[in-house]
Amino acid sequence: MKWCLSLLLCCFLAAVNALSSSGSRLLVVLDESTEKSAYSTLWSDLEGRGYDLSFESPKSDSLSLFEHGERAYDHLLILPPKSKGLGPNLTPKNVLDFLDKDGNIILALSGKSSTSSAISSLLLEVDIHLSNDRSAVVVDHFNYDTVSATEKHDVLLLNRPGPLRPDVKALFDGEGVLALPRVAPQTLGNTSPLISPVLRAPETAYAYNPKEEIPAADDIEATGSQLNIVSALQSRNSARLTILGSVEALEDKWFSATVKTPGGKKTTTANREFAKQLTAWTFKETGVLKVGKIEHHLASNGEVSVDDLNPKIYRIKNETFFSIEMSEYAYDKWVPFRGSTGDELQLEFTMLSPFHRLALQPTGKTETSTVFSAQFVTPDQHGIFSFRVNYKRPFLTNIEEKHEVTVRHFAHDEYPRSWAISGGWVWIAGLWSVIGGFLAFVVVWLYSAPVVDKLKKTQ
Amino acid sequence: MHLWQATAPLCLLASAALPTVAASAWGFTDASVAVQPKGAGINGGFKEQISSSKPLASPLAFTGADTLRVTLTTQEGSSAKRPHQAFLLLKDSQSGLDISYPFTTQKELPLQFLTLPNPVDARVVIGGFGSSEAYDHSVFKLSIERDVNIPIPTAEAPRYGKLPEIHHTFKNDPTNPPIVITLAFVGAVIASLPVLAGLWLFLGVNLNHLPTALKSAPLPHAVFLASLAGFEGIFFLYYTSWNLFQVLPAAAVVGAVAFVSGSRALGEVQGRRLAGLR
Repeated sequence: MKWCLSLLLCCFLAAVNALSSSGSRLLVVLDESTEKSAYSTLWSDLEGRGYDLSFESPKSDSLSLFEHGERAYDHLLILPPKSKGLGPNLTPKNVLDFLDKDGNIILALSGKSSTSSAISSLLLEVDIHLSNDRSAVVVDHFNYDTVSATEKHDVLLLNRPGPLRPDVKALFDGEGVLALPRVAPQTLGNTSPLISPVLRAPETAYAYNPKEEIPAADDIEATGSQLNIVSALQSRNSARLTILGSVEALEDKWFSATVKTPGGKKTTTANREFAKQLTAWTFKETGVLKVGKIEHHLASNGEVSVDDLNPKIYRIKNETFFSIEMSEYAYDKWVPFRGSTGDELQLEFTMLSPFHRLALQPTGKTETSTVFSAQFVTPDQHGIFSFRVNYKRPFLTNIEEKHEVTVRHFAHDEYPRSWAISGGWVWIAGLWSVIGGFLAFVVVWLYSAPVVDKLKKTQ
Repeated sequence: MHLWQATAPLCLLASAALPTVAASAWGFTDASVAVQPKGAGINGGFKEQISSSKPLASPLAFTGADTLRVTLTTQEGSSAKRPHQAFLLLKDSQSGLDISYPFTTQKELPLQFLTLPNPVDARVVIGGFGSSEAYDHSVFKLSIERDVNIPIPTAEAPRYGKLPEIHHTFKNDPTNPPIVITLAFVGAVIASLPVLAGLWLFLGVNLNHLPTALKSAPLPHAVFLASLAGFEGIFFLYYTSWNLFQVLPAAAVVGAVAFVSGSRALGEVQGRRLAGLR
């Protein structure tokens, strides 16, 4: 009955809150001069997925990301402004505050004109770097569109990206070719696990400033796959920031353009599908995880009664069973979570540091979740332990679960009895032989007549 | 330490002014690769011609402080021309690592390349704007060797992913000595009782006063002995199953019985002593 109700509630919520798992208010920041109609397919796609779009110019006075200290929008899409910067309402600090308050951002760049220093300093905060002169364009003489960029080779044609690593879930993959005109490349710092590349330039690509005739060899800072065309940041609160190097790739023109690589065949671009994946990920329609029921109890063969569920205390060396339900959001509903093949959900049993770190195996499934479970023996160390599931992966929201339990010693009557320990038999035998000897001595002392001494007799 | 030198002296003599042919392709001639050990002069070390059509058969060994020098003349069609892109591209096919060295530059090899197990592919990439076909072919393989005794700083960076499994190492269970040894010592301990009995018999132990004692005070003697045995029984039950709160009242009852019957029985014993029997 209870789950029936919650299911009903879930359905109701899903119907009300159309699609994204985190709100539908989307602010699009674009210049008045920018052709809003050039992106009409993107707008209608987003509206079709349930977003309420508002458009603002970066210079507008009424533009504010916050209202009464709370977010005024759930998501933000910033198109590159023609003017110098993003204006006084979109300072790097404001944008980062928006991110801190769980707002999601897509920031599009363009290689057509140089990027403003405000954007550059915003990206520096998250360890994403633009080229030194902020006006580099990626060219590749091997993967360009021969139809539209015969001379300049600055419309890159790339396959959709596969998984970032073998153990990372591929959220942006698929068939088809992407056309990315005039890309402003980004390079990523190496020390942050929060940023990850979504789409990298091919190895033969390089970036140069189109204002210069031939780049000096020393001016080429990064080449090949170090150049990122699309990169993503997921902060510790799971808010997302996506940097798209080529804003033109979102235009209607490129959503259904016919392109041709050198020596290849004519194909239509898959930009529209990729834009859907990219906006869906950033605005939390994909890659969002949720933890359902968490249960732990002593391992047993049969059913576990409610009283024995999630006990506060365990004994050392108890065989223990732990299970967790995980769901993943897929565009408009919660589905059972499936990790990628090389990856594992891990359970830690920790006191300061983990004593156990074990793989949780998928053992069951409900309508909206997968049940992962593991069985293990609590360590032979008493103390305050916790079951921890710390699941942080690129492109997936962070899961950090911690459930504290006490692990106690053996009680005095839980040890094996002394007669069960063969080494103790000698001591037990000694004890009882003393008792037997004592009783015999008492009898002898009470009833033994003195021995008639022969010497005494003669006297 | 790992100095990379890639130079491209460009022949600008003949035909830089020639118009570009529409379907021409980029390429290079007069190319050579040299590996110079540290301290060797400009002409020291290994040097070999490379061709734009066929890669070198065997991988070049490149160690420690060597310098690799690649020299070539780029061409568009058959005329020498400076291209927009002229790179020496190193690529490890297994890990997907790649890095480009634009001509003309001098740079060190990144750390990540120092620990690769297989030779990396060295490719020359030449390309430019317009319709000329760009050039990208493997020209040689480079096997990067390093002195294993010199530790290199690790290039490990924090990334979210699966962590190594940990299984708690339990302390060993306590063990018992071999059962034979235990039984031998148990036998020795139990054998002490017959030895004691034998010694007493040797000294002439007897129960000659038992009939006398039972005749004069039968009840106290029987009850006293029984209460002593009862005490040991209580101890036995305490050892196997009872707790202290069961033991104490039982011991109090048996103790009182032992006190009363004991004083009578011992009085009888005293009577025998006074009669000179003991």
